[in-house]
Amino acid sequence: MKRLLRLTHPIHVVSGLVIWGLWFVAIYAGLSVACSVAPPESERDMLTGINVGVGLATLATTALLLWLSWASVAAGRKATLRRECYFAYLSAGVFLFSAGGTLFVGYPIVFLPPCL
Amino acid sequence: MSDDKDATLTPDIRHLHRGMAEVWANPRGLGALTVVNHTSVGLRFMVTGAVFFLIGGLLAMLIRTQLAFPDNDFMSNEIYNQVFTMHGTVMMFLFAIPILEGVAIYMIPKMIGARDLVCPRLSAFGYFCYLFGGIILVSSLLFEMAPSSGWFMYTPLSSGDYSPGRGSDFWLLGITFVEISALSAGVELVVSILRTRTEGMALHKMPLFAWYILAMALMIVVGFPPLILGSILLELERATGMPFFEVAGGGDPVLWAHLFWLFGHPEVYIIFLPGAGIVSTLIPVFARRPIVGYGWVVAAIVIMGFVSFGLWVHHMFTLGIPQLALAFFSASSMLVAIPTGIQIFVWLSTLWLGRPVMALPMLWVAGFLVIFVLGGLTGVMLALVPFNWQVHDTHFVVAHMHYVLVGGMLFPLIAGLYYWLPLISGRMPSERLGRWSFWLIFLGFNTTFLVMHWTGLLGMRRRVFTYDSAMGWDLYNLISSVGGFMMSAGVALLILDVALHFRFGRKAPQNPWNADGLEWAMPKPPTPYNFVSLPRLETRHPLWDDPALPRTIDEGRHGLNTIDHGRRETWGSDALTGKPREVVHLPTNSWWPFFAALALAVVCLCLLARLYPLAGVATLVAAVLLLRWSWENGAHPRAAPDPTVAPGQPPLHSRTLNGPGVWAMSVSHLANGSLYLSLLFGWFYLWTVAPEWRMPETSPLSLPLLAAAGIALTLGTAWLAGLVRRLDRRNDTGLAGGLYLVAGLGGLQSALLGLAIWQAPLAPTETAHDATLLVALVYVLIHALLGGLLCLLQGLRVGYGYVGAEAPMEPVVVLRLWYYNLVVYWTLLVSVWLLPTLLGGTS
Repeated sequence: MKRLLRLTHPIHVVSGLVIWGLWFVAIYAGLSVACSVAPPESERDMLTGINVGVGLATLATTALLLWLSWASVAAGRKATLRRECYFAYLSAGVFLFSAGGTLFVGYPIVFLPPCL
Repeated sequence: MSDDKDATLTPDIRHLHRGMAEVWANPRGLGALTVVNHTSVGLRFMVTGAVFFLIGGLLAMLIRTQLAFPDNDFMSNEIYNQVFTMHGTVMMFLFAIPILEGVAIYMIPKMIGARDLVCPRLSAFGYFCYLFGGIILVSSLLFEMAPSSGWFMYTPLSSGDYSPGRGSDFWLLGITFVEISALSAGVELVVSILRTRTEGMALHKMPLFAWYILAMALMIVVGFPPLILGSILLELERATGMPFFEVAGGGDPVLWAHLFWLFGHPEVYIIFLPGAGIVSTLIPVFARRPIVGYGWVVAAIVIMGFVSFGLWVHHMFTLGIPQLALAFFSASSMLVAIPTGIQIFVWLSTLWLGRPVMALPMLWVAGFLVIFVLGGLTGVMLALVPFNWQVHDTHFVVAHMHYVLVGGMLFPLIAGLYYWLPLISGRMPSERLGRWSFWLIFLGFNTTFLVMHWTGLLGMRRRVFTYDSAMGWDLYNLISSVGGFMMSAGVALLILDVALHFRFGRKAPQNPWNADGLEWAMPKPPTPYNFVSLPRLETRHPLWDDPALPRTIDEGRHGLNTIDHGRRETWGSDALTGKPREVVHLPTNSWWPFFAALALAVVCLCLLARLYPLAGVATLVAAVLLLRWSWENGAHPRAAPDPTVAPGQPPLHSRTLNGPGVWAMSVSHLANGSLYLSLLFGWFYLWTVAPEWRMPETSPLSLPLLAAAGIALTLGTAWLAGLVRRLDRRNDTGLAGGLYLVAGLGGLQSALLGLAIWQAPLAPTETAHDATLLVALVYVLIHALLGGLLCLLQGLRVGYGYVGAEAPMEPVVVLRLWYYNLVVYWTLLVSVWLLPTLLGGTS
């Protein structure tokens, strides 16, 4: 099990995208439930708890993914086996993409109200 | 070259070839129905898929004939609805997916140095499910009872009120049946790629095609269950009146759209990925250099596999979803262009840096690049919400879809056909006929669909059966129809070329394209056992690095080069390193897959005819056949009673605790889990969104009964885990008794759960709440029964000596099911009892 946590393990080629996927489901489901249960007043535009909540989740997820990307590069540098080095750098790239993807998909909270 | 008559081989090696041929022999005549070998089953998939392609193509020509002129009365609107629905359905479900699975089933073992897929009988079972399901679905056309609600069967149009005939039932039951085939292929492709690569083929050294198929197979495993669930729910609604998609009963038709597109969008990438895999295989061969950026392609495949699951709502932009949510999906739709772009630049860079040869397969790859890039560009346009609203449901969308699917799948498929044809037949195709065919199809396709973008922008809706001349669409439609017939002529020429080459094609040399892939080290046409000895490989380009490989393989100089044991064998290797861990003994030819699929076909037909008692009997027969099939496993006399292996070889997989069977069970639970999560999604979706959803004040379910059932399940799982831990220490004392006890606990759980369902005052035909609850409870009840039954059979197998300290794998496989049941049961209880009780009975 400990082996799986090392960033040189190939499981991390997908773990960044799993985090992205969980974040994506969370913001879409959270938005839908929040709009159904407690929709904010329409005149508040983007200054709503929903936008702030989605924004914070987006920033936190992006930060986590960026850190994982950096940690994967570090793990790749330390790796002794070529296979481990390969998967660490590959994972670093996918973490970086996932971080960019999180920020890009979450960005519309800046200019769109949540429930219209 | 690889046969027992090859005079250049020593008598010992000729004996080895003879032995292999006997053990791997395919029976003829009626016995051909028992064949399980991947080469035969893969070919059957491909040929059957090609037949369905011709049927789908014929339907397309009927559509184009009808639309060629305004106010045309070639077809009535009812027939037209059936024709376009069946065109889409046949092409997506009976052609595209199965033929690509056929290519993967045929090619993957040959490319990774295995002798067969890991579950050959499952391959055969999948094929028969596909064949029978396809025949049932297509037969609806002959009865003029074909589905007519479009290939995505939106409710309420496909529901009982608006489609009272049998058409929707044909679709729902037939497609679900066919999807059994897709899932079984998905599971075994994943396990085969991860666990049966030849010695030394580490994960980062396997062919790119295997990466693509691994991603495709995992996407099938996760992506198909939402549609299977949706089809079951819609069929239940149509047959019994459970109102899952009916607003008045607390359901919501948009739930169908979600379930369909949760499958439907990944489906596009499931179709594209193998096509891209063919392109990534062919381009380095014809550019005569290794691919530029292997790692970039792997990253792009993985990213595409994930991100494609985050796009499904872009098919639902006009359904009234909040704009912010639309923006999320719009952004992720644009995001998927990045991995696609990476691949295109990798292909172009490889061509740029190589010395390309424009052989026939490359011509089709070039056609793919042009058409797919155009389809990708209109895809980015459609990802933009305002533009999407403007062209929604117009011929612009039809044109885009065909550019992506025909460009992304058909052109690479034909490229692959021409590339691997010499391997299949041992003969070369005709360059001249092939080029004529290419240009007719390429020009015909663009004439049809490039013009169709304009027809759509001018406002022509898709699915209209005719139009008025005053709309100004006449010329565009006529041009599209002419292009369609030109494309058909190209397809006819392609068929002619392939048919003639078997007779007149010149003999293919050993490696006709100077390719690097291991498949070209095989005899042509391939023997059922692929390789007489399995080489150790530590390179991505085996034939470029060792051109003598075909000869040394044929001379039996590599691994697993004995046959006196009489077993069909291949390596079971470590998923990461490719180091052999077990010798996998593969099952031989069998009637069980055929009869099990036949019984399921009877279930399907009985449900269509609404003969429910008979359907119940047929289901029982199918279950008995499947269980009887599973009996011939492990240490059974017909599997591998003798555990002896050659000195220095790892043990047989059934004598270990982590054989491919354990992996197959885990991957199957990915599919099962996807179905369960889709059900939970349906429950929470209806609870949150459906306007008439009625949550009762107090739960209709008895907590004591449910809790007692859960305790029985938990105790059973813990006990079984203890038995497996002891097996790990090679201790099987009290194993049979323990398994019977666990079976008893499974039976107790089933009885308590059954009682809870029976006692609950549910009205499943009145409210969506009760209907969804009932389906969820029946789902866990079926799993509880299965868990108990499998433990009972395991207990019996211990008595027969098929399971024990020396053959410990099967209880590990069953334990995976119990773990799954445990997680599902308690999470379901939280979702359907605890949360409604805590949050109160409001809608």
